[in-house]
Amino acid sequence: MTLMQTITEKARNLAVRSPWIYRINAGSCNGCDVECATTALIPRYDVERLGCQYCGSPRHADIVLITGPLTARIKDDVLRVFAEIPDPKVTVAVGVCPISGGIFRESYAVHAQVDQYLPVDVNVPGCPPRPQAIIEGVAQAIAIWRERI
Amino acid sequence: MNFLKIFVRNLVKGPSTIPFPFAPAWTPERMRGRIQFKLQSCTGCRACEQVCAPGAIRFDKTPEGLRFMRWHNTCVFCGMCEFYCPTDAISQSDDWHMAHAVGEKYGMAIREVIPYIACTGCGMKTLASAPNPVGVAPPFTPEEIEQQRNLCPACRKKALAERGVQS
Ligand code: SF4
Ligand code: SF4
Ligand code: SF4
Repeated sequence: MTLMQTITEKARNLAVRSPWIYRINAGSCNGCDVECATTALIPRYDVERLGCQYCGSPRHADIVLITGPLTARIKDDVLRVFAEIPDPKVTVAVGVCPISGGIFRESYAVHAQVDQYLPVDVNVPGCPPRPQAIIEGVAQAIAIWRERI
Repeated sequence: MNFLKIFVRNLVKGPSTIPFPFAPAWTPERMRGRIQFKLQSCTGCRACEQVCAPGAIRFDKTPEGLRFMRWHNTCVFCGMCEFYCPTDAISQSDDWHMAHAVGEKYGMAIREVIPYIACTGCGMKTLASAPNPVGVAPPFTPEEIEQQRNLCPACRKKALAERGVQS
């Protein structure tokens, strides 16, 4: 193994321990957002044990959590913000809304499914999913992210 | 002084963080999770399809029979289907481990077929669904259910009349 490879390998092992999470609300009813906040902020769940941290800017993000059915009104903004997130990124669809439209499925006002517009990697179904399920999804996302960087 | 109380409690009881995903997580007893389907008990009444708001349940007529399809990825776990099912064919389990890679998106479904058979009474083509238990007293025995399953609606009515009940 050359020196360069060793350094890359070391950097990768370090990086995978601290993915930053960015949350996009694509018109969610707020149920999934509350669960996402719970997952991060309540000591009982504490997603930071996986090394994750929520960040305020899309440019810092590694893992993107998308909630909501991509309403017609928010669609362009979501796509613009998503384009600002640097690669490699892993996208997690939280709740049935982004996956299929859920309760808003086939409404004229939503553009679900989100994966028609963005590359989604992990789905976490539920309405809303419980915090442990979101942690499970984030853990799967970290495993995918490890492959990508 | 409140923090001292919390400090002592944490020392005694350990951290309040649940160890998931490094250890199994506690699941409440009445957790509303993944829907289960028991083909043997389904009467084919399609009540579940009617009450499911996000359209997670769909029935299609196919040459083989009545196909039941249920997509976990659009179910909102409201429990209406379980509530309105006249038999216990559809039920909610407490399984919430449903996070999956996007490739399995359409695999997260139940697909089963209630097949067509020839009625053992008159030979007509009919669905091998379970009989509707609503209003039947005394309730069907398992043998009677199997017997009714192989009959067409008209022969079922006749068998019920001979049994001495009105349904
Ligand atoms: S999945 Fe359910 S809880 Fe989450 S945003 Fe959609 S409707 Fe709200
Ligand atoms: S629990 Fe509700 S949303 Fe899910 S299949 Fe049953 S009726 Fe449909
Ligand atoms: S018996 Fe239950 S599962 Fe079958 S169609 Fe009727 S409501 Fe649905």
